Amino acid sequence: MSEEKRLHPITTVMNALKTLKEAFIPIVILVFLNRGEAESILDYLPFFIMGAMIILFLFLGVIKWWRFKYWLEEGELRIEQGLFVKKKRYIPFERIQSLNYTEGILHRPLKLVKIKVETAGSSASQESEAELTAITKEEADELNRIISAAKKKLKEGNTEEFDGDTSIVEEQPEERVLYKMSAKDLIVMATTSGGAGVVLGGVLIFLSQFGEFIPYEAVFEELVDIVETGFLLAGVAAVFVFLIAWLIAVGMTFLRYADFTVKLVDKDIVITRGLLEKKQTTVPLKRIQGIRFDQNIAREPFGYTSVTIESAGGSVLEKDSNAIRLLPMIREKEAFPILNEIMPDYQWKTAFTGVPKRSLKRYIFWKMLFSLVIIGPVSYFFFPLGLISLVLIPLAAGLGWLQYKTAGWSASHDQLTLKYRGFSKQIVYMKKKRIQSLAWTQTIFQRRGDVATIHSTIKSFASGSHSSIAHVAQDDAELLMEWYSPEAEVKKVHDPVRLDPEVEGH
Amino acid sequence: MGRQEPKMRISERALTVWKLYGWISAAFTLLAGAAVTVLAILFDWSVWFIIGAVAALILEIILFVFVLPTLKWKRWRYEVREEEIELQHGIFIITRTLVPMVRVQHVDTEQGPILRKYNLATISISTAATIHQIPALDINEADELRDSISALARVAEDDV
Repeated sequence: MSEEKRLHPITTVMNALKTLKEAFIPIVILVFLNRGEAESILDYLPFFIMGAMIILFLFLGVIKWWRFKYWLEEGELRIEQGLFVKKKRYIPFERIQSLNYTEGILHRPLKLVKIKVETAGSSASQESEAELTAITKEEADELNRIISAAKKKLKEGNTEEFDGDTSIVEEQPEERVLYKMSAKDLIVMATTSGGAGVVLGGVLIFLSQFGEFIPYEAVFEELVDIVETGFLLAGVAAVFVFLIAWLIAVGMTFLRYADFTVKLVDKDIVITRGLLEKKQTTVPLKRIQGIRFDQNIAREPFGYTSVTIESAGGSVLEKDSNAIRLLPMIREKEAFPILNEIMPDYQWKTAFTGVPKRSLKRYIFWKMLFSLVIIGPVSYFFFPLGLISLVLIPLAAGLGWLQYKTAGWSASHDQLTLKYRGFSKQIVYMKKKRIQSLAWTQTIFQRRGDVATIHSTIKSFASGSHSSIAHVAQDDAELLMEWYSPEAEVKKVHDPVRLDPEVEGH
Repeated sequence: MGRQEPKMRISERALTVWKLYGWISAAFTLLAGAAVTVLAILFDWSVWFIIGAVAALILEIILFVFVLPTLKWKRWRYEVREEEIELQHGIFIITRTLVPMVRVQHVDTEQGPILRKYNLATISISTAATIHQIPALDINEADELRDSISALARVAEDDV
């Protein structure tokens, strides 16, 4: 595999499509700028330009494909590209963290994959990343095997130079499926994700945009009729719109998360998902910095939660990779056994220390004050209808009370667990050795009540992920600092709670 | 009750520098205030504009030259121990931070022109995810601290 290789020729089309996508808005503007009657040949100019552009893009795609070469040499993945400016990128195998696969619609009939080379994250990682747009699955697997074999060899302290020899046959690593998402969970996820609301908003925006085409007066008159004939029809119509929004949301969720599978391959977690476009993400276990449970208010009563991984390194280019969803939608008690298999050293259930009673008024007071800032002007300007906004007061108080009830921390001998709530409930599990720094802050108001806010930061991708709990008793904040301090005596504050046997044996 | 405050204070010359910063920003306020005053006289605005400009200037000088730098300096504490660094700062919001030595990735010192004139430097301590600064240390102290931190800091590669 050390000879120079090109990507699959279909790359030309993909390159062209990608450029076309980027140029989509200018093209649309070009077409719509010129909507008058076609009188002279000049009126067709936009279409000529468009045609020329598409041909140009295709041509550029071909050149890009032609100039892109990759090969393996001296323990490095080497990539060379560019027409006028030749760019060479050499990535040593040991810097490669994982190869992530994506199969788009164009890839699948040809049995191709797109490969994203993920390197250990550093601030300059944008430079060290690479993408192979389309190579065959066999090639991809071979690449994966060679790289992991080379890495393994390097780890064993073998100083012999590795030249990317294919003759090394690796035994297939052990592969274990840990979790498959059921269709039911997918539907629950779509329903509670707020996606339906977004779609509904989209429909409303669409309706308002095309307002001029809709004869509102006629509709209004009809509406009056409807109201006169009864609310039933209006209700049916509303339900119908909601149903469609919900169906679209479910459909979109299916596109992204169908066949969601989590596998444990050797020392990596491999996540695959997607209906039309298949994605495969690999997370090396030792890069995991922390685990986050996120339970939004719609999911909480049903015991559903979403589990994400905070991982060091990985792609800074890909926006949606900001947190890796390990278990997007699962019942909390079903999550623990799976997580136990992946990361047995974490304690998933621990005793928590809450915040003191005197903090309750702090949780409620600020939210009430803020809600008054909204209620005041709204009630004044939209009197009397604006008075409805008064419901914000109990809502704010309720939220404050929930936040107070949720807040808690737990420090066992090697793990810090924080529990807190913005709107949705979060539980963050962090190993002590993964915490980059711990701090507490105290405002002058908090000083009076002898409470403080604790902050903990772990590494997440190129930057940090920050969790904090407000209004913890000051003594507790200091106790936590003692616990974190390498020089202090306090080694643990809480003992882990064993999982219920029935859950463990699940 | 709990942990001791960190022991070390930052250089007393920091106070001079912060006061200087205060004077510099007051100079800009003075310019803006002068402009308002001139406009107010030219266009016959209410006298309150002039009073407001003068009041803003006086308030700024009191706060940013006399009150806040002293409070800030009094609060600022740090301590570098063998296995950890502890910082405390903040006027209205007090922040106390603990950074274990094994998490420190690198240490930098830096100096702007004003800091250089007063032989001061700011030290930045970077972990994989956070950056912590100690402002306005004596340059010799900062260099010493930088060297000793980087000698003590041995990041366990595996834990990043």
